[in-house]
Amino acid sequence: MSEQKHIDSIPLPPKDAEVLTTCCDYCIVACGYKIYRWPVGQKGGIKAKQNAFGRDLPIELDKGGWVSPNMHNIVQHNGKPHHVIVAPDAETEVVNKGGNHSIRGGAIAQKCYSENTPTKDRLKYPQLRVNGKLQRISWDDATTIFSEVSKHVIANYGEHSWAQKMFSYQYFENTYALTKLALRSIGTPAFAWHDNPTVAPSTPGLRDVGIDNFSASYEDWYLADTLVISGTDPFETKTVIWNEWIMKAITEHQQKVIFINPRKTTGVAFAEEHGGLHLWLNPGTDTILQNAIARVILENGWEDSEWIKKYTNNKWETDSGFGQGTRNTDWQWRTTWGNFQTKGFDDFKKWILSQKESDLKFASEICGVDAEDIEWAAELMAKPRSDGSRPKTSLGLEKGNYWSNNYTNTSSFASLGLLCGAGNRPGQMISRLGGHQRGGIKGGNYPVGKSPEKFGGRRRKPLDLDRWVQAGKVRFAYVVGTTWTAGTCGSGELAEVFRNQITRNPNQLTSTDVTDAIETLKKRVDSGGMVLVDQDIYLRKNIGTELADIVLPAATWGECDFTRANGERRIRLYSKFYDAPGEAQPDWWIASQIAQKMGFSGFDWKESNDVFEEAARFTRGSRKNYQPLVKMAKRQGLKGHELLRSYGTTGIQGPIRLENGKLVGTKRLHDSTLELPETGPEKETVWQKWITKFNSQTGKANFMKSPWSMFGDFYDHVKPREDELWVLNGRINEIWQSCFDDVERRPYITNRFPENFIEINPEDAKRLGIESGDYVSVESNRVPVQKSGFYGRDTSDLLFANLLKGGHIKFVSAKVKAVAMVMEVPKPGTTFMYFLNTDNPANSLTPRVPDPISDNYRFKLGVGKVVRLGESPYKNSFKQMTFKSRAIV
Amino acid sequence: MKEELMQKKQVETALPSCINRRQFLFYGASAVSTLALSSIFGATSALASEALFAKYPRKKIAKLADLKQDVPIEFLYPNNDATYAQCFLVKLGEKAGGGVGADKDIVAFSSLCTHMGGLLGRSYKPEHKVAGPCPSHLTTFDLTRHGMVIAGHAVESLPQIVLEMQGADIYATGVSGLIFGGAKNPGV
Repeated sequence: MSEQKHIDSIPLPPKDAEVLTTCCDYCIVACGYKIYRWPVGQKGGIKAKQNAFGRDLPIELDKGGWVSPNMHNIVQHNGKPHHVIVAPDAETEVVNKGGNHSIRGGAIAQKCYSENTPTKDRLKYPQLRVNGKLQRISWDDATTIFSEVSKHVIANYGEHSWAQKMFSYQYFENTYALTKLALRSIGTPAFAWHDNPTVAPSTPGLRDVGIDNFSASYEDWYLADTLVISGTDPFETKTVIWNEWIMKAITEHQQKVIFINPRKTTGVAFAEEHGGLHLWLNPGTDTILQNAIARVILENGWEDSEWIKKYTNNKWETDSGFGQGTRNTDWQWRTTWGNFQTKGFDDFKKWILSQKESDLKFASEICGVDAEDIEWAAELMAKPRSDGSRPKTSLGLEKGNYWSNNYTNTSSFASLGLLCGAGNRPGQMISRLGGHQRGGIKGGNYPVGKSPEKFGGRRRKPLDLDRWVQAGKVRFAYVVGTTWTAGTCGSGELAEVFRNQITRNPNQLTSTDVTDAIETLKKRVDSGGMVLVDQDIYLRKNIGTELADIVLPAATWGECDFTRANGERRIRLYSKFYDAPGEAQPDWWIASQIAQKMGFSGFDWKESNDVFEEAARFTRGSRKNYQPLVKMAKRQGLKGHELLRSYGTTGIQGPIRLENGKLVGTKRLHDSTLELPETGPEKETVWQKWITKFNSQTGKANFMKSPWSMFGDFYDHVKPREDELWVLNGRINEIWQSCFDDVERRPYITNRFPENFIEINPEDAKRLGIESGDYVSVESNRVPVQKSGFYGRDTSDLLFANLLKGGHIKFVSAKVKAVAMVMEVPKPGTTFMYFLNTDNPANSLTPRVPDPISDNYRFKLGVGKVVRLGESPYKNSFKQMTFKSRAIV
Repeated sequence: MKEELMQKKQVETALPSCINRRQFLFYGASAVSTLALSSIFGATSALASEALFAKYPRKKIAKLADLKQDVPIEFLYPNNDATYAQCFLVKLGEKAGGGVGADKDIVAFSSLCTHMGGLLGRSYKPEHKVAGPCPSHLTTFDLTRHGMVIAGHAVESLPQIVLEMQGADIYATGVSGLIFGGAKNPGV
C-alpha cells in the first residue's frame, strides 16, 4: 500500500505560468478546470500580482479557488519537469459555478503520469505475450500482427468473428476512429459498448415516449418545485449537480426532492430533512411503484389535462405519419407487439386503472413502501395548489432504475412524467442524470441486418456479444478501455469462457518474431480459439494481466487534445498539457495505424483535430451536433479545436445552431419555450424538429404501457430466497471511476477503501452476527447466465420463464470477499458493494440475462448469501477505512 | 525481551512526520498509542519530522479540567488569525487516532472544511464522533480516524492538530495537513 503524505504547503504558479482549460475526466457533470503549468525551479507568491491565479491568498471562506495539495503534481512537458496545478475553474459561470468540485475532480492532478507516484505502472509500450509473459515490441510489429491476424479471421470466418468491445464515452476523436474501423470499414455486427452486451439504448422507454435522454439542462434541476430522482443519489455520483443545482434549490426555494432508491445516502437523508421524501423501495420494483403513483394521480384527477391535450398524441395522432405501427426502427417495432403502445391518454388511464400491480395496497406490499408515502409522492408531484397553479415537476433517472429493469422502468417513469406535464419546458423536464460523459460519435452504422438475433415479429436486433463469445463464434477480439470480463454481469463465469478460448488453447507464442507470431495466432484461430488485443492505460485484471495476446498503451486525458459533451450536452475542449508516458498513443491514432495496415482508406489523420473535424458531419442529426462550429472555424481560418478552445470551460451546448451569424448553444431539447428567429434556421444549422417538439412521429409525446408480465417472471426467479440478501452494486462518491485511478492510485482514497466493501443494514447484520470491519464472503450458486437463445418466434419466447424452459439458462457460482460496513443506508434485506473491484467484482453475482426488449443487463439485481469470515485489519485501525454512516445530516 | 525490542524497532520505523523527538519520547512510554497515532502519517524519517514540525509553535490550548465529553472547545492555532486559525478540541469518549489523555480520546482539528472552506467548528455530532455535515456541501469527517472524509467532496482529511499533554494542560504542537485557504498554514 502506498504511504499517504500529509503535506502542509503547496507551490504557487508564478505570474507568467501558462494557463490552459480542461474539464474533469470522470463523471457526467464535467466540471470546468484550469491547468497552471510552470517549469520546476520557479515559484509565485501569495499576492494576486505574484501568482497566475490573480488572487490574494488565503482566499475567502466558502468560496472556490483554493488549491489543495492533491491538486498539484509534477509532470513532464516537452521532456522537461513542470509543476502543474489542476484546479476547478473559480471564474466559471456554468456547471461548477465559482469553482465547486467533487473529491474526484479535486484530486485529478494525481491522475497525471509520474514515475514518482502510483501512476508509474502506466502502460508505456506495445507488448506481446510470449511464453505467458508480456514482452515489449514495436508499434510497427504490434500493428502488423494485429492486422495480419485480423485479415485472416475476416477472410476465413467472416466479419462476424472479428469482435470489438470498447468504451462508449472516452472522447469524440477516439470513439469516432474506433467505430469507423469496426462498423464502417470492417462492418462487424460483433460489436458492443463497455456497459452492455451490444449497442443497447440506455433508456428506450424515454425514447418511445418521445424524449431524448439528455434533454434537460442543469438549470432545470434547480428550477423544479418537485424533483423526482430515481436510481441514484447525485450527491454521490454527480456531485456538482447536487452541490450547485439541487442542494441550492432545496435551500433557496424549498424544492422537494423525492428519491426512489433502495439506499439512503447523504443526499437522500438531506432531502428528507428538508420536506422531501425517500421511497426506500425493494430493488427492481420501480415499475410497480411508478405506476402506483400514476394511479393515485389519475384517481384524484391531478394530471395536467390542458398540457396533456396539447402535447401528447391522441388516438388518431398515435397512428399518424410514421406512426407506432409496424415499421423498421427499434422504437417502432417495440410498439408492434401490442404490449406497450397506447391510443393516447384515455387508453393509458384505462390501462393503469386496470392493473392489479398499480393498486395501492398491492404496490405498497411488493415495493416495501408505505401506501401513504406513495400518495404523498403523487401529491408533491402533481396536486394543483389552492390557487390552481401546479407544482413544476422534473424527473431524473439513472442506473438504479434502468439497470434493474430496463424497458418498463423507463417507459413507466417517462409516462408518469407526462402526467405531471413534464418533458418540454423550464423546470419541467424528464432526463437521465448521466453516468459517463457523452463522448461517443459513431463513425459507421451498426449493421443490424447481419445480426443473427431476432425477436418475435421477425425483427432483427443487435447481437449479444457476450453470448456470441460464449457460443465460440469470436476468433479475434479488440478490447479498448474496458475490463470486459470484470465489467459485465456474471463476470467470473465469462472470464472462464475467455480462458478456454485463449490461454488454454495449445497455440501460444514462444517468440516475439513477427512471422512466428502471426503464424501461431492464425493456427490458434483455425483451431477454434480466439486472439485478444487489449488497449488501455493500465494493465487490468483479467483482460490485460491474463488474457490479452497483445497489449497496446493508450494516451488519455491531458495527453492529447480531446473533445466531449457533458450531461447537458455542453461540448468543450480538454487540453493536452503534458507528455504521455513512453510510447503511449491516443486511441484514434492506434485505430488509424491498424486500419491503414488492414488496407482501409480514410484513416490518414495527422492530429486529433483532423478526426474532430471529420467526425462533425456524423453528429448532424444528434444532440451533439457541432458541425456549425467546424464550419465557422473554417470560415475564420481556424482549426475546429482552436475555435472550441476559445470557449474555454464554458463551451457550447449541442446541438449548436447559427443565429445572426453567431454560434448559439441549445439549452434544453423539446423546448416549447425556445424562441427562434423569424427567418428560421440559418445556413449550417441542422434543424431537428425535436429541438422544440418531442421526438416522435408527430412531435407530441406517447403515453406507454409497462406491463409487469414482461419482467415479473425474471424478478420472481432472481429475488432473494431463504437467507439470501439483495447484493446491489454501483459507484460511490470517492470511487467513481472503475478502480484504475482513485482507489488504486491515490493513496488518500486507497486508505479510505483498501478493499471492496459491503454496506449492510444493522437489522441484517445483527441477525448474521456481522459487525463493521468484519470480513464477509458474499456468495451465490444460482447466478443465471443466458448461454443461448438468439432467436424468438413469439414475443414470449425470450422472456425468462421460456428461456429457462428452452434450456437457454445455466446457473453458475460466484463468491467475493468484502469488508462489512454496517449502517442504516441500504434497506433491510439489501446490501450494496462497489461494482468493479477487479479482485472482488460484485458483478460476478449479477444475472447475465439481458432485458430481451432492449438487451440491457440487470446489473443491479445481484443476490447472495453474506457470511462472516472474521475480523479485517481495518476494524481497529485508525489509518484505513471509516465505518461511519454515509447518511449523516 | 525480544518482543519488546521488536516493538521498539517498529515504533522507530513508524515514527510519524507529525511527531517531533520530544513527542516521540512522550508517546514512547506507550508504544501502542504511538503506533496508532503514527500509523496514518506514514514512515518519514525522524529528521524530516523534526524539520517539518520545528516551525510550528507550542501553544497551550486548554486545561484537561475544562473538557467535558462531546463538548467541543474552539481555539486558534497555529497563530491567532481569527479566520484561518479556527480549530476545535474535543474529548470524544472513544479512543481515536492521534488522541491524547488517559483514554487517548482528546483530539483537535481545523474548523475549516477542506472542500471549500465551510465552517465545521459547531457541527460536531456526538452520537457519531463526526465533524459535519459541512453546512456548505455536506462533507463529513471521522474524528476517530484522523479526520478522514466519510462522505463528501473534500480532497483532504480535516487537518489534525497535533496535541501533547503536560500535566493537566493540553498543548498544540503542529498541524498535519494544509488548512483551507492558503498555500501554507497560518503563521508558519
